[in-house]
Amino acid sequence: MDLSVKDIYRPLTFDEAVAAFSDEPSMLPIAGGTDISVQMRAGKFAGAHLLDLSGVLPRSISADGGFIEIGAGATMDEIADSGPLRSVCPALCQAARKVGAWPIQCRATLGGNLANASPAADTAPPLLVADALVVAAGQGGLRNIEAEDFFAGPGENTLKPGELIHSIRLPVTDPPSFSRFTKLGWQREQIISVVSLSISLHLNDQGLVTKAAAALGAVAATPKRAPSVEAVLVGHSLDPAAISRAVEAVQNDITPIDDIRAPAWYRRVAAATLVERMLEEASGA
Amino acid sequence: MPETIIIHLTINGTGRSFRTPPGRRLLDLIRDDAGQTGTKEGCGAGECGACTVLLDGLPIPSCLVLAASCEGHEITTVEGLVHDGSPHAVQEAMVETGGVQCGFCTPGVIMTSVALLENSIDDREEQGRRLAGNLCRCTGYEKIFHALEVAGTTDD
Amino acid sequence: MTKIQPPLGGSHRRPDAMAKATGQTRYVGDLALPGMLHAAIAVSDRASARVLNFDVASARRMPGVEAVVTADEIPGDNQVGVIFPDQPLLVTDRVRMVGDRLALVAARTPEEAWDAARAISPAYEDQPGVFDPEKALDETSPTLHGTDNLLHTFQVLRGQTDPDHLDADVIVEAHYEIGGQDHAYLEPQACLAVPEGDRITISASCQCPFYIQQAVARVLAIPLASVRVEQAPTGGAFGGKEDYPSEPAACAAMLAWRTRRPVRLLYSREFDLQVTTKRHAMVVQHRWGADKNGRLVFAEVEAVLDCGAYAGLSTVVAERANVSAIGPYAVPNIMVRTRIAYTNNLFGGAYRGFGAPQVSFAAEATMDTLAHRLGMDPLEFRRINLVTPSDPLTCTDQPLAAPQMAQACLDRAVKDSEEHQIAPRAPDSWRRGRGISLALYGINLHRGGQFLDRSSAVVILQPDASVIVRVGLTEMGQGNLAAVQTVTAAALGIQPDKVQVWQPDTTTVADSGPTVASRGSHSSGRAVLDAIERLRRRLDPIAAELLGCRPEDVELADSCARVSGGGPSVPLIDVTREMAARRIETISTGWYRSKPRVFDEATGMGEPYASYAMACHVVDVAVDPDLGLVRVEHVAAAHDVGRVLHRTAAEGQVEGGVVQAMGWALTEELKLDQGRLLNPSFTDYLIPTSDDAPPVTVALLEDAPGRGPFGSKGLGEPAFIPTAAAIRNAVCAALDVEINRLPLTPPVIVRALAGNHRFKHLME
Repeated sequence: MDLSVKDIYRPLTFDEAVAAFSDEPSMLPIAGGTDISVQMRAGKFAGAHLLDLSGVLPRSISADGGFIEIGAGATMDEIADSGPLRSVCPALCQAARKVGAWPIQCRATLGGNLANASPAADTAPPLLVADALVVAAGQGGLRNIEAEDFFAGPGENTLKPGELIHSIRLPVTDPPSFSRFTKLGWQREQIISVVSLSISLHLNDQGLVTKAAAALGAVAATPKRAPSVEAVLVGHSLDPAAISRAVEAVQNDITPIDDIRAPAWYRRVAAATLVERMLEEASGA
Repeated sequence: MPETIIIHLTINGTGRSFRTPPGRRLLDLIRDDAGQTGTKEGCGAGECGACTVLLDGLPIPSCLVLAASCEGHEITTVEGLVHDGSPHAVQEAMVETGGVQCGFCTPGVIMTSVALLENSIDDREEQGRRLAGNLCRCTGYEKIFHALEVAGTTDD
Repeated sequence: MTKIQPPLGGSHRRPDAMAKATGQTRYVGDLALPGMLHAAIAVSDRASARVLNFDVASARRMPGVEAVVTADEIPGDNQVGVIFPDQPLLVTDRVRMVGDRLALVAARTPEEAWDAARAISPAYEDQPGVFDPEKALDETSPTLHGTDNLLHTFQVLRGQTDPDHLDADVIVEAHYEIGGQDHAYLEPQACLAVPEGDRITISASCQCPFYIQQAVARVLAIPLASVRVEQAPTGGAFGGKEDYPSEPAACAAMLAWRTRRPVRLLYSREFDLQVTTKRHAMVVQHRWGADKNGRLVFAEVEAVLDCGAYAGLSTVVAERANVSAIGPYAVPNIMVRTRIAYTNNLFGGAYRGFGAPQVSFAAEATMDTLAHRLGMDPLEFRRINLVTPSDPLTCTDQPLAAPQMAQACLDRAVKDSEEHQIAPRAPDSWRRGRGISLALYGINLHRGGQFLDRSSAVVILQPDASVIVRVGLTEMGQGNLAAVQTVTAAALGIQPDKVQVWQPDTTTVADSGPTVASRGSHSSGRAVLDAIERLRRRLDPIAAELLGCRPEDVELADSCARVSGGGPSVPLIDVTREMAARRIETISTGWYRSKPRVFDEATGMGEPYASYAMACHVVDVAVDPDLGLVRVEHVAAAHDVGRVLHRTAAEGQVEGGVVQAMGWALTEELKLDQGRLLNPSFTDYLIPTSDDAPPVTVALLEDAPGRGPFGSKGLGEPAFIPTAAAIRNAVCAALDVEINRLPLTPPVIVRALAGNHRFKHLME
């Protein structure tokens, strides 16, 4: 069945898209469409005026100074298989390979996964952990948004009206010693996360954690960093005591709810377990 | 009625133009406008994979993709795998091994399988992960894996 | 009987496979006719309410709408109940479940039809509903039909049945809560109705064209002969297209009759999940006792089926559940009571196994629990209690023809499980467990449904010695076309590709009942053999003339007619050409019906089924002890099949049945809130993927011939029945816990560990 669409604008360049969206911020941007179409089918955005970004979004993954820049139109499949990303941010590649199933990954874009701002968005925790910048394009040009400031609530982001995601910039001058993503659902593939977790660690020669970053998905209204976990790790080696403190600390960082996919208590148990396992893996790495 | 738009794309090697409403899904364009009904709709939400087609050689869920966003691209459906009357090695293998039961998931399974082989993904565990978006309720997948194995060896 | 010959037991290509693999097969959704309208259904979103008024006038004025039909416009009976007349096609003053139909819409596009259907929203007065089947039986509960919610009670009473006198050395009491299941066939419900003067043609995705014929004739008040139902290619069914498709077909027919145009009705996945029948949820209470030597002394079973709002097939489902409650075990004293309770939940229908999987789950779980209490190995405990040639009676006192097959299946599955090198499919840190479960399956329809157990076939011999076959039973993916093709080819001694089997059509074959109860190849194969036997009364004399022998010495093999015992032969084509030249009748009909059986309703004693098949599954699992995730690592499935007709089709039944049952056991949860399904999508109703599917070692045991063609036995349902209990037993063995519910989702497993869980403090 046709989706309820009043009109669709198909710009020929990204600049045209930005200009059109600035003029008419009520348009609904659509890139891969894998998430928006599901929402439209469920009755959301009826009679939408679509802005089709599928052909015009930046899509390349390239090194740029101290950053790797990922075009907003890069697909999950491209990100998962990207050599440069695998070496500096494997967690993001791992997450991209877990978004939906392969056909979804071949269509879904990084920009779309972020813009939809699902609390369970799989690419969000690795980007939060990597201190990524979301580069927004609007009338006034490009502006950087810290990944941590990007998510505002379920389905809500902090893009201004008329702004589009242009790209995501990952700082890569100091790649972590450890970078992982994991997600949990009742099945291993093609599943919406019940809890997801990403951790990156910088370890010095003595095995002390000099920098730690952790973020979780599906345990709060937005994907979020876990500052309590990070705080108890920095300055320590990954010994059982430190891991155990992190496992306790993560409970302070999450506010899970009961929903159709899992009860809140289970998410608490799962967050503890995933943090413990990931740190144990890091300690052996 | 919303205004219509014109879409040009290549389906199974033939360039075509269509005038459609702007909200037309690629799946409906393929089935209703292009009359290629081999591609199936099992859920409309990108979960079952029955609507999988190849877009520029990669599998995508055609139920979630707007036809308008495929302007200028190449689509291959299950019908397009047959060349000069000869089925593709994956189609042959699916028939030979018993991977086809009710047949409703089959076109989508075949499209993803073709992409797997073309991308040289031949490890069974990895194949299982990549095929997880193509649900099959009849076979238990065992014979589909077997078909992939058979097609993988005949393809070379 | 013709002797066994090729292609029996082979793996030739299924006749329907290549058309499906190349996208040529036309399912209902692929059919479009000039002037065709699209149907939609306005349904209740309340589970229990009075309908105060509803207005369809505004829907009639919506764009593209050609007709809106309400109950008062139905020319015949406003009734679609398959057994009891308790279910209206369109409700008038009261809704009893979410999904009750209010009105039908036909419009130019599906979008317009569904928009109009959604716009029909009556004023309701909510009424108290009842959603728990046990509570529904309380006298104080609100009732759905009549004065109470008890639809029916079945019993099995054998030996000492007074509970006060049932005593044993070890007694296990257990309470099982067993969830329902959606069929999740990949093709949602679909039908097309085409009116033509005083008659109508329906093409439907279904398991019983004859049910649809009856429902449409009744609703339109026209003779059965005026309704033609064609079996369309059917994208999976599993019971979900036995009884249910009569409802959408009646809707489409009603709209086609009214508009005099072709009308197609396709369900979306969400609509299909929300309104169609489900496997019955059940509550089963056990009290089973054994002596200290491990012999079962008594078994007491109290089962309650959640019928949902309408009877549907619940009585026949319960009938099978009732006599399947003990499994393949010899127990002297039995007291089974099976009750069916109306509730305001979605209504239960046919689903692969037909009530047996639920009660088998309970029985096999109790067997493990009893074994543990006795300090015995569950395998040994089963061996002690299985039916045997010296103790061959089922729980209904019916002697089994091949009781030794229970032991044979058990031995084979255990052996295959032990010999199979299990590649780990989960981390080493997960706990491992092995579970065993058996099933005793009554093949074909229960005695209560035996009036349906007949089957029609038509065989037309062509001048070139190819054959057209039509049978009354359907192909829905399980391989009936391949089975019938195989039987025909084997009986006539020709190559399978010379046999074309066509789907049923009510104008070409007689009412053959539903394609259910693992009776497809059995009943249609027997009817085909009957047709061939009759055909040979005309063929053999011609062949005998050509061969210069007596007609009774003619045998058919290798595409020839020959003198039996290795005499001269002529190509069969010479015989068929001669028949054509002499204008000999080359069309033949065949019929099969089961023999009457004796059964006492009150005590449950007698012959509920004509024959039985055994099965045993041994499952290895890995369980994440912290998160409750389960990965099935291997399944060994041994089945007593009598005779393999088509090997890959038979294996496919077992592999597919195992994985479907695994979904029921682990992830497929119908989350109902006040009768409304909260997860009507494959996003949240999780059926197994290719990543979840375990390797399955299939053993098809051919030691004990059955009553099907060439000694075959039904296999579709036995393939499903033992798996869930084997998984449960494996999970419980891995974790040393007792969990008596399904599905075993991770929170259920973690909860069961509670006291021992490392993070139990987080579970408040």
